[in-house]
Amino acid sequence: MKMFKTLCFASALLVGASTGAMAQAISLEGGQDVDMVLLPKFLGILVFDQANEGAQEAHAELNNPGELLFVGPTPENSVAGQIEIMTTSATQGQGAVMLSNNAGDQIVPSAKAAQAAGTKIVTWDSPIPSGEGEDVFVAQVDFGSIGEVMADMALSILGGEGQMAVLSATPDAANQNAWIASLKEVLATNAKYSGIELVDTVYGDDQSEVSYNRALALVDKYPDLGLIMSPTTVGIQASSKAMQDEGLCDQVKVSGLGLPSEMLSYTLNGCAPEFALWDFRDLGYLTYYTAYGMATGQLSGEIGETFTAGRMGDYTIEEDPGRPGSKRILMGPFTVYTSENVEAAAN
Amino acid sequence: MTNPNAGSAHSSKSLFAKLRSWEAFLTFALILIILVNSTLIPQYFTIANQINLFQLSIEKVIVALVMTFVIINAEIDLSVGSIMGLAACLFGWLFQNGISAEMAIVIVMIAGGLAGALNGYFIAIVGLPSLVVTLATLIGFRGLARVLVEDRGITGFPDWFDALGQQGLIGPVPFSFFAFIVLFIIAFIILHRSAFGRLTYTIGNNREVAEFAGVNTAAVKMKIFISSGLVAAFAGLLYAARVGAVRGDVALGFELDIITLVLLGGVSIFGGSGTMVGTLLALLIVLNLRNGMALMNVTGHIQTGVIGLLLIVSVVLPRLELTRLFNSHNSQGTKQ
Repeated sequence: MKMFKTLCFASALLVGASTGAMAQAISLEGGQDVDMVLLPKFLGILVFDQANEGAQEAHAELNNPGELLFVGPTPENSVAGQIEIMTTSATQGQGAVMLSNNAGDQIVPSAKAAQAAGTKIVTWDSPIPSGEGEDVFVAQVDFGSIGEVMADMALSILGGEGQMAVLSATPDAANQNAWIASLKEVLATNAKYSGIELVDTVYGDDQSEVSYNRALALVDKYPDLGLIMSPTTVGIQASSKAMQDEGLCDQVKVSGLGLPSEMLSYTLNGCAPEFALWDFRDLGYLTYYTAYGMATGQLSGEIGETFTAGRMGDYTIEEDPGRPGSKRILMGPFTVYTSENVEAAAN
Repeated sequence: MTNPNAGSAHSSKSLFAKLRSWEAFLTFALILIILVNSTLIPQYFTIANQINLFQLSIEKVIVALVMTFVIINAEIDLSVGSIMGLAACLFGWLFQNGISAEMAIVIVMIAGGLAGALNGYFIAIVGLPSLVVTLATLIGFRGLARVLVEDRGITGFPDWFDALGQQGLIGPVPFSFFAFIVLFIIAFIILHRSAFGRLTYTIGNNREVAEFAGVNTAAVKMKIFISSGLVAAFAGLLYAARVGAVRGDVALGFELDIITLVLLGGVSIFGGSGTMVGTLLALLIVLNLRNGMALMNVTGHIQTGVIGLLLIVSVVLPRLELTRLFNSHNSQGTKQ
């Protein structure tokens, strides 16, 4: 094993600046003792609990005799609480902090202080904007690919052609607007989707009741509408409920980005046959492998370094295209949920 | 007896006896917490941790000093968290628009004073309840802060500014700690050794009586609210320096933590009683308790619950027979 690692290291040196894909994947050695902290934005949110499950799975798999802590602030105290836990982790001499950052760049001084104390900072779900005080960001998906994911789901649900409308969050939600723009671009440029007509974009303000009413208004306005695409977890759930309540699920389907636990019944009864999101268990699992590798010194965290993250396969550290100078590991792609896999993910 | 502290009929002797007993209780609680922490947590008594313990909450404890005056004066200032946020955001915005950090600090302090004066005008001159006025400015100042920086974070302040909040000024002890000590001494002298301090208590006990006696109550209240604005703005700047970045949600909700500290210190929410030493003991208790819980990996919800329980105890206990129990031990039968 040691020989193998030395070989890896030597070959990495030889390959030098070549691309990560060519480097041999580092296999992480389990059983090393390192304490780590999984720090979510705040506690009491299902997806963060799922990330913790994934991290616990990896913790057991790697046979780490150290402790994996899942601590977080309350929603009202998120920023100050994250800074406090980051500072405390440095005092405790934790090997790594896995952070879903909710404090913007305000976390930077405490994260830098933790790094100076020998703690590795691996972000997941939400990075440190400036990249300072962060060793690497484990990104759930490449946000640029979302247009294609939505177009593919529309193609499959509509069976090749039909009318579709978008029900978004608010008119000035930057991420949703970027995703809709990406969807429009894919529809316009790829001939594969020429049968799909995007007739309207409306906004439900990410409120259940408003979204519910907007969805019904869309059906009234466009009698031939076949699909409502909602890139927000609130909108997709409210639209599905509206179609189900009015008995419209045979004519108008719903799709978009949703949480399996909230979408379970609508997917099983056919109102929302397909929707997408990333798997937070996988995200926690991959984040743990990354942090473990770095905290035990088995990963240096350099761009181009490739390692094997257990059941999920090989990943490479690369430059983050959205934050030049910062490093990321891209988990991607989206997970598309259907009646086949939604039940397993919802629990 | 519905309210043990608000009546002006109390002899000052019984009042002092009562306060002394509450402080004795706080001191006992503080010693207990420190003993538990140092027994269970190896890192607790390190210099680095003791500094972190203060630094993580330094802005709140500084504002608690001036909040002690506000509440003894039988008023409340809910807008301090928003003034802190506004100060930090205004600093970031000015800096981003090419104004030097030194100049920005001056402008921010003036703005803090004006914000306090706005509260003071409606409370002291117009005569509206401080609960309503500062609730309105809590929303208003926060809105202004969010308008200034929108959803962006502003960062990249000069090194000396960041260093002031993040590095030791003398040895490992940061500037903010010295600022707190100086402000505490000033606050102690004003509250307990000056005419202004006596007026603060008198008005808090009974405003009408004070006015009959010819006291300019509006002027006293105005000064207290302007000071509150100034100190909150200063604390907002300290926060910006400590975290090296500002955003619209800076210091969101801090007002409740600050008021909790002051009430736990034995200041009556009805005004007229309380001491600086009580506030100091309360903040030492909360800081040490929080630090201990954090190092023992207690999660946020439970920490909040424990602090909440403390507050309930601190508000309820002085109104129960227990107070008399303390009094009978500590004073020579001054209780009526």
